[in-house]
Amino acid sequence: MAWLLLLLMLFLLGTNYQNNLVMGLSFLLLSIFNTCILYSYRNLAGLTLSRAQTTANTFAGQACYVPVHIASKHNSYEVKLNFSEQPIEIAKKVFGPPQSALLNILHTHRGLLKPGRVKVESRYPLGLCRAWSYVDLDIEQVIFATPIQNNISLAISSQDSSEIEDTGRLVTGVDEFSGLKDYVKGESLKQVAWKQVAQGRGMLTKEFQQPQGTPLWLTLDTSSDDLELSLSKLAWQTEQLSSKQQIFGLKLGANSIEPAKGEVHRIAVQTQIALYPNNLREVNHD
Amino acid sequence: MISDSLSSKAKRTAQISISRHTLMWLLITNVAILSPLYQQVTVWSLAICTICIIWRVGIYLGKVARPPRWLVTALAFFSAMTLAMVANKIGVLTALINLLILGYALKYIEMRSRRDVQVVVLAGYFLIALTFLQQQSVWSSLHLLLVTLINTCVLISLYHDENNFKYAVKLGTKILLQSVPLAIILFIVLPRLPPLWMVPPQGAAKTGLSNTVSFSNITELTRSSELAFRATFVGDYQPINASLYWRALVMEDYDGKQWQQNASITAAENAFADKTSSKEPTRTLTMPSLRMENLDSDTALSYSVIAEPSGQHWLFGLDRATSQDSGIKMLADFRLYASTPIEQQKLYNVTSFTNANLQVELPLAQQQLNLRLPEGQNPRTLALAQQFAKRYPNAEDRLTAMMRYFTEQPYFYTLRPPPVGKQQIDDFLLNNKAGFCVHYASAFAFMARATGLPARLVSGYQGGEYNQAAGYFSIYQYMAHAWVEVWLVDRGWVRFDPTAMIAPERIEQGFDAFFDPQQSYLADSPFGYLGLQSSEFIKQLRMQFASVDYFWSVWVLGFNTNKQQRVLEEVLGEVTRTKLAIFLIVSLGIVGLSIAYSAGLIQFHRSSDKHLNAYYAVCKLLKKDNLAREYNEGPQAYNQRVALANPSLATDFNKFTDYYIAIQYQVLNKKAQKRLSRLLIKQSRRLKFIIIKQKLALNKTNT
Repeated sequence: MAWLLLLLMLFLLGTNYQNNLVMGLSFLLLSIFNTCILYSYRNLAGLTLSRAQTTANTFAGQACYVPVHIASKHNSYEVKLNFSEQPIEIAKKVFGPPQSALLNILHTHRGLLKPGRVKVESRYPLGLCRAWSYVDLDIEQVIFATPIQNNISLAISSQDSSEIEDTGRLVTGVDEFSGLKDYVKGESLKQVAWKQVAQGRGMLTKEFQQPQGTPLWLTLDTSSDDLELSLSKLAWQTEQLSSKQQIFGLKLGANSIEPAKGEVHRIAVQTQIALYPNNLREVNHD
Repeated sequence: MISDSLSSKAKRTAQISISRHTLMWLLITNVAILSPLYQQVTVWSLAICTICIIWRVGIYLGKVARPPRWLVTALAFFSAMTLAMVANKIGVLTALINLLILGYALKYIEMRSRRDVQVVVLAGYFLIALTFLQQQSVWSSLHLLLVTLINTCVLISLYHDENNFKYAVKLGTKILLQSVPLAIILFIVLPRLPPLWMVPPQGAAKTGLSNTVSFSNITELTRSSELAFRATFVGDYQPINASLYWRALVMEDYDGKQWQQNASITAAENAFADKTSSKEPTRTLTMPSLRMENLDSDTALSYSVIAEPSGQHWLFGLDRATSQDSGIKMLADFRLYASTPIEQQKLYNVTSFTNANLQVELPLAQQQLNLRLPEGQNPRTLALAQQFAKRYPNAEDRLTAMMRYFTEQPYFYTLRPPPVGKQQIDDFLLNNKAGFCVHYASAFAFMARATGLPARLVSGYQGGEYNQAAGYFSIYQYMAHAWVEVWLVDRGWVRFDPTAMIAPERIEQGFDAFFDPQQSYLADSPFGYLGLQSSEFIKQLRMQFASVDYFWSVWVLGFNTNKQQRVLEEVLGEVTRTKLAIFLIVSLGIVGLSIAYSAGLIQFHRSSDKHLNAYYAVCKLLKKDNLAREYNEGPQAYNQRVALANPSLATDFNKFTDYYIAIQYQVLNKKAQKRLSRLLIKQSRRLKFIIIKQKLALNKTNT
């Protein structure tokens, strides 16, 4: 805009002083503007954007980073990427193998985040004109509920509430194979992993564990009016139990997740909480 | 807290966005833009600019911090105030330029973000345009184009942050060159408008003739080899040197020391110059005898003049000059006068009537004016004049005798005349007998007046240097001249040039024939001898450069509505709006497509493998001989078929196939690869040549 204003000023200057060179300069600058339109277009032409594999791990209120792969047939410079009204990510130079860019989304809310289309923008080479385009990468991101600390409801669905702290925790036992550890002298030879010995990996002991007590079930506190607060509390407990390696299940609305533990389980549970009450849809996770 | 951290973060990113690469470019562009403006810059602005540049270098090297904002603001405020105060003294335009320069320099040191850089660059473009107002020669235009390129590179460096100097230059040049064709088309096609409003004058230094003539002031001009103006005659007409009396000023008042224009003429000039479209000047200038029907069109001589900037209003014309150009007035003394001072090259068209009478009827007041002599001066000249009057009662005989007098007596022409006393004409005419044109013209006019003949002094230029290559006359300052016009009954004002009697070569062959340039116009230039008259070759070279400059003046600087019309008619035939629009759109399309192609947007289907291309090219040629390669046919099978069908080609094609197979299918080291690649390309060219030759031979035998 400033550029065109300058052109106009130069044209007026040239006209008023009847100076052909000043007019020529203004025409040249106009022509440069025209050239830049083509160059800006070229900078974006041939650019390929694709969605990168994402793992949801964002809590509401946090900034969400969506990775996007960007590749170009020829060199592209200063490519700006952003979701509407979100911070801009700049890829300074795009060339060769796809490189990834993290698109930032501020102010997230619990639920399924659909940031919409990605805006691809460039002012290269002179910043005179802006070439832009919207790309629909069909990006969806689950935003977990914000964990809010609480103590009360851990026992609610536990059938046996005597030892809350240990309930659902795994202790060393015989039921489930949990892993291998170095053999310590004196341990039962029955538990030595002979297969691994035969593979030359040394003496290892098979470890078994079993859940202590009955598994915990997390359920929604329906007595509370504030659904978000209740969900946030559930999210906190999910985090807590997961960090303590306890086994727990979730009953939320019509869906329930069988007691389990581990990262995959945590994400499945958090996803259910995040999507409630629209959580009937089966959420894929691997 | 949050806002604080945010703003500091914003600041950091802003600082990051101006890279050192950009800063370097800015330094270069700053110097490049400001240096051509040195004539306009006042000492104070120059000082502030220098400080700013040094500061900037300091910032670039990391030695000093950026100045606080209040300091910059205060500096800007005070310098603007100062400039506003001295604006009257240095001229509004110069003040404006200085203001812009200061703003440019100050913005330059406090630059923080990308936006600031853009502002600086835009201001830079504007400063370049202001430089164009002062400097318009081919060389300075090329120079300023280079500055434009540098300024553009600053923008590129902003968006291409790789510290790659060469890349920025390359891309900048590419963009600029690709933009030139469209700019030229726009230059030719877009209409030229008259000035939209009054603008402050440029305040160029006044050069050339002065509006008074005395025994001392023309000599200064004879020492200047600067161009005064150039003239091109319509058709192949090439007038003789002796007929080129370019009139510029007519002086009727003589006070015993100097000649000057009459007050009534200057008043008329001023009235025209001040005229603001609404009112006609109060005094009618057009004399009845200026009616066109009186003029004999057979003797009409049309030419165009490109006047160099002089800061003055008067224009140059031969004899009775008329001009239809707007903004040019024909004055009562048959001169041309421009409404605005000539501050940049001005092209105007003149038609002169060389045989026309100048003012056959002289009003009594003007007659008396042209007879007036300073009282009690030059008694001996007066006495001499009385003798002439007695001996030659006929006016024309008397004037001829006076002219002859200069040859009969031992007068000689010199640019360094001996000094004269109070009775200056007496001293010159009877004692010194040496002087230059003003001396002779003054004495002649004085004597004519003394014998009752109205006479006046005319100053202007005499002669012209003809440029064979471009076909125009150059008139230099050293060709400044003064002569006399005497009013005769029935003939009007008649030109008498007493100088021609003393130094006829000066008039017939030009100034150079009479004077050794080193003693006159080259006396003050140390390299004059080398640059001007030395050898034929250098003279030729100088003429060539002058021709380039001339075409530049005519076709670029003097490109006006008339020229535009002519060019467009040449291209389009009859110019209509639709045609113009179609022309513009088509050329825009062509330019756009070619830019797109060179930018790599459009690609023709052609494999990037040059070996494959070479092979296919030959196959394609053979296809025309009904020897097309099948899609499923391998090179060797094809080779056999070609050998059978066209045995004369067999050996060459066999070699070609071998190279091709080797390069495509064998594992080769780099050196062999290179060698084979060269051989393949060479063989491909050879085969193409042979095939085409065969075909041509075949065609010949057929016909």
